[in-house]
Amino acid sequence: MVEPILRIENLYKNFGDVEVLKGVSLTVEEGEVVVIIGPSGTGKSTLLRCINYLTVPDSGDIYFEGRKIEYKQDNLSIVRQKIGMVFQEFNLFNHLTALQNVAIGPSKVKKINKTKALELAEKELLRVGLQDKADHYPAELSGGQKQRVAIARALAMDPKILLFDEPTSALDPELTGEVLMVMKDLALDGMTMMVVSHEMGFAREVSDKIIFLEGGVVSEMGSPEKIFNNPDKERTLEFVSKITRLGPIDSSRGGSDI
Amino acid sequence: MGLNGKAGEVFKSIPYILQGLEVTLKVTILALIIGAALGLILALMRVYGGGFCSRISVFYSRIIRSLPLIVILFGLYYLGADILDLSAYTAVILALSVHTAAYQSEIFRGAIQSISIGQMEAALALGMSKFQCIFSIILPQALRRAIPYWSNEAAIVLKDSSLAYVLGIAELLRRGEYVSARTTMPLLTYTIVGVIYFILTFVLSRGLFFVERKLSIPE
Ligand SMILES: Nc1ncnc2c1ncn2[C@@H]1O[C@H](COP(=O)(O)OP(=O)(O)OP(=O)(O)O)[C@@H](O)[C@H]1O
Ligand SMILES: [Mg+2]
Repeated sequence: MVEPILRIENLYKNFGDVEVLKGVSLTVEEGEVVVIIGPSGTGKSTLLRCINYLTVPDSGDIYFEGRKIEYKQDNLSIVRQKIGMVFQEFNLFNHLTALQNVAIGPSKVKKINKTKALELAEKELLRVGLQDKADHYPAELSGGQKQRVAIARALAMDPKILLFDEPTSALDPELTGEVLMVMKDLALDGMTMMVVSHEMGFAREVSDKIIFLEGGVVSEMGSPEKIFNNPDKERTLEFVSKITRLGPIDSSRGGSDI
Repeated sequence: MGLNGKAGEVFKSIPYILQGLEVTLKVTILALIIGAALGLILALMRVYGGGFCSRISVFYSRIIRSLPLIVILFGLYYLGADILDLSAYTAVILALSVHTAAYQSEIFRGAIQSISIGQMEAALALGMSKFQCIFSIILPQALRRAIPYWSNEAAIVLKDSSLAYVLGIAELLRRGEYVSARTTMPLLTYTIVGVIYFILTFVLSRGLFFVERKLSIPE
């Protein structure tokens, strides 16, 4: 049996008195696209951030490429280089152009020489369709373009898995499409992705697995067909139909075919 | 004629006053450089240093900012003269540096903390070390934001450098004082000294404004 690229076992995280993650376990296979849904404040972001240790879990184990991540001993930089992250608020480096934003990871972290890093960055910008915005600063880009640059920045590190935390929820509705398109292309290219998103169209079309996170645990997990059409739990159905009804993309057709 | 003669004396003394320019500028520039380095270290200790370093930085800033500059100056000079054998000149530079460092640390701290936490997180997520995050991502943005406030502080240091006169250093103000005494024309003399300070401050802040614009990034 092939080792999953990511395995999370019994992850716990509290913030003071607030218990956020209460024993989350899940696996992600190589090449899989996993979409995580769940109510606000349920710990979706916290879960993603625990994977690259931006947030340090209280207990539980994370195995990446078959190896347990040891927070205290491991060089986190090496782990993080292989785990790309895309943020809701883009977090592009404001003092760098689009091209420099993409190049800085390879050049500073992987110590690739500057010219090579810039060439690589150009290629990644091309991949997200923004080669003509290379010299623009983040402030000169639309939200959708910023997020595509952020994806290119993550890709430039040649990660084994990409984590997306609500990549389209800070965007005007008309700009979400271009970002979802790029993500879809990545999925088709075989990129392993873990996506927190309530874009049900994307989940239905692209994902291999949907995880419903609620109350700090994985409440239900399954293929999109199952989660959308006949989930085990009444509550899952209720949540899915609610976000599908409210969802920005599917609002016109979503309700009917559930 | 007599009055004209005295005024003439004052005007003829302008080159003599201007010889103080060198000292004034040296003291100002050195104090600004040392103060900036120390201020930046203090700001980094405060924001990233964790409990102990952070508390030292806060403590330093509180103490220094609560003392009049002249007290620091005399303190360093008289105490320092016994132990370290500081010259008046060195004492002035050190006092100004120590003093401005506290204010600059607050400027840098504010600027660093104004950069959103997401910048650091995105850099860490790429695999950068904390050190790389700070120096490649945070500071280039924070220092740009600090320029207008730093420029204000630089003007203050320039003017504060006139305190060197109390230790008998022949900088601009001290020389003005000599001329005023000799010609018995204090109003005219100090007006001239004032104009010189005005021009220096003006050039300094215009220069820094130019730097600010040159380095600005679209926001
Ligand atoms: N750094 C922190 N300090 C304290 N509490 C935090 C911190 N980060 C998150 N929390 C709390 O943990 C809980 C889970 O937050 P999290 O951001 O993971 O939820 P989420 O599922 O991503 O929600 P949303 O859909 O609103 O993004 C919330 O109650 C939040 O207030
Ligand atoms: Mg979240």
